[in-house]
This record gives sequence, structure tokens and C-alpha cells, in this order.
Amino acid sequence: MPCDRHAHLLSAYLDRELPDDEHEALARHIADCPDCTTLVSDLRQTSRAVAGLGREPMPEGLSQRLRQSLEQASDGSPPSPSPQSVSARSTAIVPRHWTASALMRQAAVLVFACLLSALATWGFVTGSARDTLLARDLLSAHLRSLQQESPIQVASSDAHTVKPWFAGKVDFSPEVRDLAAQGYPLLGGRLDTIAGRRVGALVYKRRLHLINIFAWASDAPDTAPTLTMRNGYNLLSWIRGGVVYTAVSDLDGDELKHLAEML
Amino acid sequence: MPIPSRFEQLALPHQEAAFSLAFWLLSSRADAEDVVQEAFLRAFRAFDGFRGEDIRPWLFAIVRNAAYRTLNNRQRTANVISLDAAFHGREGDTGAPLDIAAEGPSAEDALIGKAERDLVRLALAELPTAFREVVVLREIEGLSYREISEITDTAVGTVMSRLSRGRLLLRRALARKTGKDCSHAL
Repeated sequence: MPCDRHAHLLSAYLDRELPDDEHEALARHIADCPDCTTLVSDLRQTSRAVAGLGREPMPEGLSQRLRQSLEQASDGSPPSPSPQSVSARSTAIVPRHWTASALMRQAAVLVFACLLSALATWGFVTGSARDTLLARDLLSAHLRSLQQESPIQVASSDAHTVKPWFAGKVDFSPEVRDLAAQGYPLLGGRLDTIAGRRVGALVYKRRLHLINIFAWASDAPDTAPTLTMRNGYNLLSWIRGGVVYTAVSDLDGDELKHLAEML
Repeated sequence: MPIPSRFEQLALPHQEAAFSLAFWLLSSRADAEDVVQEAFLRAFRAFDGFRGEDIRPWLFAIVRNAAYRTLNNRQRTANVISLDAAFHGREGDTGAPLDIAAEGPSAEDALIGKAERDLVRLALAELPTAFREVVVLREIEGLSYREISEITDTAVGTVMSRLSRGRLLLRRALARKTGKDCSHAL
């Protein structure tokens, strides 16, 4: 694999999105490099295969329903997409789908509420500290993120993309740094909910370990990182500049501390 | 028959592209239909604020936002189920319905064949959303990096790297899928 240096440019090369001089230089390189020649031809094929799919055809009648709801909206009658469009669709095309998913959603909310209240009661009855409950919640959020299709909502290794993304979504600004060079690449960020409160989550990677760093605002003074363990996972918490950070991962505790020191 | 408004004249020609984009973000025709309806109404109401030459990036950004809201709702639902699963130590069935198999035969089917077509669809559906959306906007809609960056609210450089990574992932997935088929044949 001698030609890693150009692999990431070949896609833009195919799209003719590189500046002219770079394009020419790369074309000359490709001509001399069997690795890049193969990759370019593979990428071109992949491109064509996807382009060949064409657009997903619209469901029958959607065009008309779209026109109708727009006309209704411009008549000044209350423009609500749901009653008209949903009923039209549920009778015509996909009966019950919407209702089923709405029910599922409600059921899920109920389950969540029950779980929360059960947890709260449990914590109260056993006198277990609030910290334990918080740790449990943080660990759940971490596990949850591992089961999702993607643990990130804003995917970027660029701290200047991730940090502004949180602006307006949470009431604080977390410290974001890409530590790829140190072996902790930043994958991105997302919003999560811990104990009913919206928190920011930064997602880093260390080899194959995923690290969630949850962050939320606090009035408490700065503290040094403290490590706790729960169900085989490490939780490292510290407070800095009015923001509480808790890193959760199955990564080794020392490596987790190392990450906290660099942030 | 009422005279179509300026918004309708500009936006309706893009309804097919809008539906296709929503479908590829959500992997569900039913959800995509809801999202397109919602997005067009939102766009209609916000149309006064539209200043520009090309309505497409503006409209697609609204479609994309609506699709992400649906995805987030879905994820919230999934989170609750997986939280439950986490406590009981089993895998939650959190997947959204993936109706990715192509519906009827189309003109392209004659060219690449339904089986291969379904492989490509599956591989695309399995790409992480951030990569899938740039791939769809580029390969299926043929948009420029600049337009894609406007729609996805990211830097052109980010579009470039996501597209590159997305294609490499797709290439690997397709090689794996077709490779599997070959071993079957042997």
C-alpha cells in the first residue's frame, strides 16, 4: 500500500473538483502509479453503479397530494400537512403504517417513563447516591450510542465544525480538539439526554474503542479528573470552566486520563 | 384550476428529486412521503425569505432538515428500546424498516440486472447517513461540491472527504457482497 497519500484525492479528481494544477499533477501521477490507476477505475465503477440506480420513483398520487396541500396552504386555510396528507395516504397507499409507528413511539415513551421512575425509586429506596444514578445514566447513554447506526450527528474530525455545531443546541460551549495525531481521532458530536437534561456528547476513538465525552454546564468549581468503574466500563469525570465532562469507554483508565489531560 | 404560484412553479419541478433524497436519508418510502409533504409546506411558508438564483439547494436543505428530524425521532424511540435492552442484556430491535429492494422493473434493470441493482441499493442503504447523503446528492442528483456543501451546511472540504470516504466504503461493501456471490457460485 505505498500510495495512501493520493487515495483521498482520487474521488475529487474523478469529479473534476480539484484545482486545474492539482488535477494535472494527479493525472500525471496516476499514469505512473498502478495502485492509483486501479483505485480510480474501481471508484469510477462504484460511481456509475450508484448513478445507475436513478431516483427513487415517487409514490403514486404524491404529486397530486403535494399540489393539493400547497393550494390549501395558499388559500390561507390553516396549512397543516398532517390531517390531509396522512389520511389520504393511509387510505390509499400504506394503511396503518403511520398509526403503528406513532403507537410504537408512545409505547416507547411510556417504557422510558416507567424505567426512569423505577430507577428513581430504586435510587431513593436504597439510598444510593445521586452520583450512582448519574453514572448509570451515562453508561446507558454510552451503550445506546454503540447500538445506533451512527453515534454521531455531526460527523467531522474538524474541531471547528464540531464546536460551532453545538452553538444554540446546548447552553455551553464544550472544548473540542482533534487529537488524531495523538492517537485519539475525533469522530464528531451529537446531542444526548442524561437524566432528562440535554447534554452534548463528543465522540473520540482510540484504536477500536469508542469514547463518549458527555458535557453539560455547571456552576461548580474546577475539579481534577476522577475515575470510577461500572460494569467493566471506565467513567472519568472532571469539571473545567463551568462545564462538567464525563468520558465513558471500555478503554483502559490510564489512556482515558491521558485523553482528558490533552483536552 | 388555480394559477400555480411562483413557489409552485419553482419548487414542484424538484419534487421527484426531493422524494428521492428523503427516501435515501430515511430508507423508507412512507417516511419519505411525510417528509416531502412537510418540507414543501415549510418551504412554501418560508418562501419570502428565499433570495437566490437556484431554489434547489435551499429546498433540498429544508427536505434534509425535515428528514433529520424524523431520523432523530426514530433514534429517540430506538434509544428507549435499547436502553431497556441494555438493562436486560439483550439486543434491541432498533432497526428502521428498510424497504430498499427496488419496486418494479425499470429501464435501468435491463442494463444492470435486478440482482446487482439490489446489491448496490443495499450497500448504499448501509452507508452511514453522513456519507450516504453526499453520495446520493453527487451520484444521483449530480450536484457540485459547492451545492452539496450548501445543502448539508458543511465546508466544501468536508464534502470532498466524505464523498471520498463514502465511495471507498461503498467499493469495499460491493466487493464483499459480490465476492460472497462468487464463492457461492464456485
